[in-house]
Amino acid sequence: MTETQNLTLVQAVRDGLRDAMAADDDVVALGEDIGKNGGVFRATQGLHEEFGEERVIDTPLAESGIIGTAVGMAAYGLKPVPEIQFSGFMYPGFDQIVSHMSRMRTRSRGRYTLPMVLRAPYGGGIRAPEHHSESKEAFYAHEAGLKVVIPSTPYDTKGLLISAIREPDPVVFLEPKKIYRAFREEVPDEPYEVPLGEASVRREGSDVSVFTWGAMTRPTLEAAENVADEIDVEVVDLRTLSPMDEDTIVESFKKTGRAAVVHEAPFTGGLAGEIAATLQERALLHQEAPVERITGFDTPFPLYALEDYYLPGPARIAEGLRNVMEF
Amino acid sequence: MPAEFKLPDVGEGVAEGEIVAWLVSEGNSVEEDQPVAEVETDKAVVEVPSPYNGTVKQLHYEEGDVVPVGSVIVTFNVEGKDDLDAGPEPDETPATDAEAEAASAADEDADTETAEAASAATSDSGRTFAPPSARRLARELGVDLASVSGSGPSGRITEGDVRAAAEDGGESDSDAPKSAVSKVTDEGGADETESAASESGDAAAGGSVEPAEAAGREKTLAAPATRRVAEELGVDLDDVPASEEREDGAFVSEAAVREYAESQQAAQEADAAAVQAGDTSKSGEREERVPYRGVRRTIGKQMAESKYTAPHVTHHDTAVVDALADVREELKPVAEERGFRLTYMPFIVKAVVAGLKQHPYLNSQLDEENEEIVLKNYYNIGIAVATDAGLMVPVIKNADQKSIPEIAEEMRGLIEKARDRSISREEMQGGTFTLTNFGAIGGEYATPIINYPETAILGLGALDERPVAEDGEVVAKETLPLSLSIDHRVIDGAVAAEFANTVQDYLENPSMLLLE
Amino acid sequence: MVVGDVSTGTELAIIGAGPGGYVAAIRAGQLGLDVTLIEKDAWGGTCLNYGCIPSKALITATDVGYEADTAEEMGIHADVKVDVDQMTTWKDGVVDQLTSGVEKLCKANGVNLVEGVAEFESENKLRVAHGGDGQGSETIEFEDAIIATGSRPIEVPGFEYDGEHVLSSRDVLDLDHVPESMVVVGGGYIGMEISTVLAKMGCNVTVVEMLDDILAGYEEDVTSVVRQNAEELGIDFRFGEAASGWEKRDGDIVVTTENEAGEEFQYATEKAFVAVGRQPVLDTLNLDAIGLEPNEDGHLETDNQAQTDVEGVYAIGDVATGPMLAHKASKEGQVAAEAIAGEPAALDYQAVPAAVFTDPEIGTVGMTEAEAEEAGFTPAVGNFPMRASGRSLTTGNDDGFVRIVADEDSGFILGAQIVGPEASELVAELGLAIEMGATLEDVAATIHTHPTLSEAVMEAAEHALGHAIHTLNR
Repeated sequence: MTETQNLTLVQAVRDGLRDAMAADDDVVALGEDIGKNGGVFRATQGLHEEFGEERVIDTPLAESGIIGTAVGMAAYGLKPVPEIQFSGFMYPGFDQIVSHMSRMRTRSRGRYTLPMVLRAPYGGGIRAPEHHSESKEAFYAHEAGLKVVIPSTPYDTKGLLISAIREPDPVVFLEPKKIYRAFREEVPDEPYEVPLGEASVRREGSDVSVFTWGAMTRPTLEAAENVADEIDVEVVDLRTLSPMDEDTIVESFKKTGRAAVVHEAPFTGGLAGEIAATLQERALLHQEAPVERITGFDTPFPLYALEDYYLPGPARIAEGLRNVMEF
Repeated sequence: MPAEFKLPDVGEGVAEGEIVAWLVSEGNSVEEDQPVAEVETDKAVVEVPSPYNGTVKQLHYEEGDVVPVGSVIVTFNVEGKDDLDAGPEPDETPATDAEAEAASAADEDADTETAEAASAATSDSGRTFAPPSARRLARELGVDLASVSGSGPSGRITEGDVRAAAEDGGESDSDAPKSAVSKVTDEGGADETESAASESGDAAAGGSVEPAEAAGREKTLAAPATRRVAEELGVDLDDVPASEEREDGAFVSEAAVREYAESQQAAQEADAAAVQAGDTSKSGEREERVPYRGVRRTIGKQMAESKYTAPHVTHHDTAVVDALADVREELKPVAEERGFRLTYMPFIVKAVVAGLKQHPYLNSQLDEENEEIVLKNYYNIGIAVATDAGLMVPVIKNADQKSIPEIAEEMRGLIEKARDRSISREEMQGGTFTLTNFGAIGGEYATPIINYPETAILGLGALDERPVAEDGEVVAKETLPLSLSIDHRVIDGAVAAEFANTVQDYLENPSMLLLE
Repeated sequence: MVVGDVSTGTELAIIGAGPGGYVAAIRAGQLGLDVTLIEKDAWGGTCLNYGCIPSKALITATDVGYEADTAEEMGIHADVKVDVDQMTTWKDGVVDQLTSGVEKLCKANGVNLVEGVAEFESENKLRVAHGGDGQGSETIEFEDAIIATGSRPIEVPGFEYDGEHVLSSRDVLDLDHVPESMVVVGGGYIGMEISTVLAKMGCNVTVVEMLDDILAGYEEDVTSVVRQNAEELGIDFRFGEAASGWEKRDGDIVVTTENEAGEEFQYATEKAFVAVGRQPVLDTLNLDAIGLEPNEDGHLETDNQAQTDVEGVYAIGDVATGPMLAHKASKEGQVAAEAIAGEPAALDYQAVPAAVFTDPEIGTVGMTEAEAEEAGFTPAVGNFPMRASGRSLTTGNDDGFVRIVADEDSGFILGAQIVGPEASELVAELGLAIEMGATLEDVAATIHTHPTLSEAVMEAAEHALGHAIHTLNR
């Protein structure tokens, strides 16, 4: 029986990173405040003491530099895990991501791959000012050459992070900071993998399939429970957004015939559209209603007084589910 | 301690009683066995005695109220017990059990002090003497310690006492008496059969298969899933009767597709079954098994329900119909000229309608739920037809308002539709009285089964020459044997006979039909 | 935490890590709940750090000194010197050992420990402000909460604690020298225990009490034993006087008191120790945020599962109603934890024992004779004087007695009052008897070891039944 610990999601990040660094000397962490300070969310706490300043590197405040350096390190043979302190700060480094991080394999015709994991806390719900609540996973899913992974539980976090670090290709690893400490789960002490590209059916049901990820998984499950006596809801946590586990999604949809997607990212261009397109491509004849998109709005993320209106909560999700059923 | 008294079952399957008179008032003290009320049941007036010594706390009904057996009619305050806030329902029985326990404990000890102490253990000062483990057990089992009598020394409550109290509480709860006459769900059954029939596309009346009419549209709107279902079931969406109009066209729901498919399916199955039933050429087999499904089964269910619900009585008689035969002969060529075929049936329909107008109870339905006989003022005469698919009963609606030619034409049309299975469900619904002409095949008398939920059915034997006694001589006359089955819950034999006589009058004197 | 507020989720948040809070936390952890225990000062709360434990440590230490100093009759000659600094250091060591023990137990049971001051933000959110280091604050989202913030000493107007001249119970346990003299305002159990400690250290103690006897709430024959012994220790008692003010004078202070008649008295003393009672700590919690109000005595009303009017919010220990005793807090903590975990637990104890660690000790549980009568029982009372106990005599004590109150009809034991050596321990047997619904016969029939003080309990029961051996049955 493996030893486990009751960890929060951010503790699982730390644990996964630590185990990866212990197992492989090439794994290197870099970012702002991650070394001596242990990370503003304590995601890298203790790593500096354990692995030293050569492997746990405090960087200047320069996102482009952080990501660019990591690209170079990865091309060189290291396995860097750069951290961008808030996903909203990735924009200054966007060029490095889309012009280089995603293209090195194709540019070098496969000679160089970039085994790097770009970590960033993402998403709203923490009463923060501008730029601290972004949920723009769609930008990175749209960029070929990148994998995009978003865990929603401590167990998945450690397993997905370790899988991502072991990937020969670059992964954007977005951590739902709203639930960094919201609950604990038993996480094995030893390293283990949760496979990338696989969705997880969190709740089985037969009336409607809801696809979601990250911090939205919990309110979706809550909404499913709340409507359980009217609607039998199936909840699928995608976990990896790119490549998306189309088979699981389609299989679920073929069973229920109705679907909803819940994401906090804005409506237009959000991945809900992608999912809806996939469903109608592969399972049109099973469709009984339009795919309901329950998402953030097409506005910049509001300041915290309105945050709770912007983020889909159990009430709004339940309403969306009823809409789908009543078509 | 308050104790409830429920109206007891006075036997003979009585379900309720009327409080004729109260013999006590609130506040009176009563002794055990003292009569407290006079209650009238279906059969008699009885006195109801008090089960306790105590005082009357509350009378729950007024004189004249009709009370179901098992309702609480009086609450007593039973002597010698404090009004403890003990648990949800102050049911007398656990307390008496506890008393009995304490009493027996006292007997064992033969020590009056202990008996007193037994009650002291639970009530005197409000303290309970029970170890913590017993207290916890009481909480877990939902037992109120104040109502438990302790068997331990000085009345201390043990775990065993708590467990015993937990079981007692369960047993002593008396369930609502089952003597209430359960209105056998005849109505429900009828409804079920009707709805089941409509779901499976079968008619309510007659239990016959009814493949819905193909719609034959050019374009149909349907959800993608519905299209797939239609494809899988081999149904042409354009044929499925539309559920509704959506946007700019006919919309078909998945349910509609399935319903349509099932009705087609059932019809085919019925065919197959009929064919297979006729096939006895299996060599080497002593038995053959034919699936009991589809139409056959539906008919079977209908027949069973009707026969087992309504007490059937069949009244036989014979109408001497020379006159009628003559009339028909006379009119046959005229009919042919007009392009329709004239049989006896339209005349018989008219005669029956005349009879029903004079004897409305044969044109009725028994509403058991509401305990009412529904006399119908419209006359929809069902004509039982034997088809390849089985028995079907198309209905001639408002036969009283139609002329004989109209009836003849309609009948011919319906029968044809029934035979080629293009008849609609509506055309087989709403009948108030049924005619079954088995005589067309042969036979004299029968005991037809009523077409539930109607209350009467007239069976017609073969119209033939038979010997009739007239004026002391036996002569050959055209006779029509009549077999009238009635639901004896609604119609007495005498009424049935009268109706039969009336119908016969019209059949034997067809000119009377001109007056109808 | 740089920007934004990532809340920590927990199933059960417990505010206050005293004998109520930490016990609740450990029990909840045992039952598998996700528990967060928040403490603003020291793990173990007042009891471990500034109350029960340090005071008992000092009582023992001073007892040892005093006994050694006065055991000439037994043939022990000693020249006792008291080093208060060292005594305090030793006492601190005991406290530290227990405090770290609490921390370890909590962690071992999966309890998350948070240091800071907690207040309610909404019905399921707490705001915890961390002390020092610019640590900032955090939000904790909880499903259920237990308020276990304990109590603080009541301050007499005019006698604000300054730690130098006017001491609280906390201050008086941290002396660095034996004071020459001490005016003790308040003759309750805290005042009496400390007076005894000080007197045995050689301090000149004067107890000023508003009522006309010490230890209100205890029967006269119980308190008189203690008072007489206290007087023999050199403690002066001034009854019917209320402390009205003090001022510095000649390096010392003068305490002024007033009696009902308006007469004033003055006492010159090195320091004053004020112990007039304790009041619940609720003002730091922002109870308005959850719509909870204390009753007119300042305590929170709770049901038999320690839940307040607000669903999901429980209150235990000194903040709740009932005797302000650590063991009562612990029991409430256990029950609350079990109730929250879904077990059918309830506070259905029949009696809460109490002890006063004076010399001699007092231990009581359940009803007095008068209380038993008021409750409708016909009391049967058994008495056994300690001077008839062999063991008591061998400890050099002949003061005190064991009294048992029972129901005459059934024999059920309803209460007991014990004055004498180890009274605080002896009373446990009778607490068990009351909870079990044991009778006099049960206790009397149980063989008690000889020679022990517990025999006195057995004989008191026998006395109530009319057949005690070592004392006359009347």
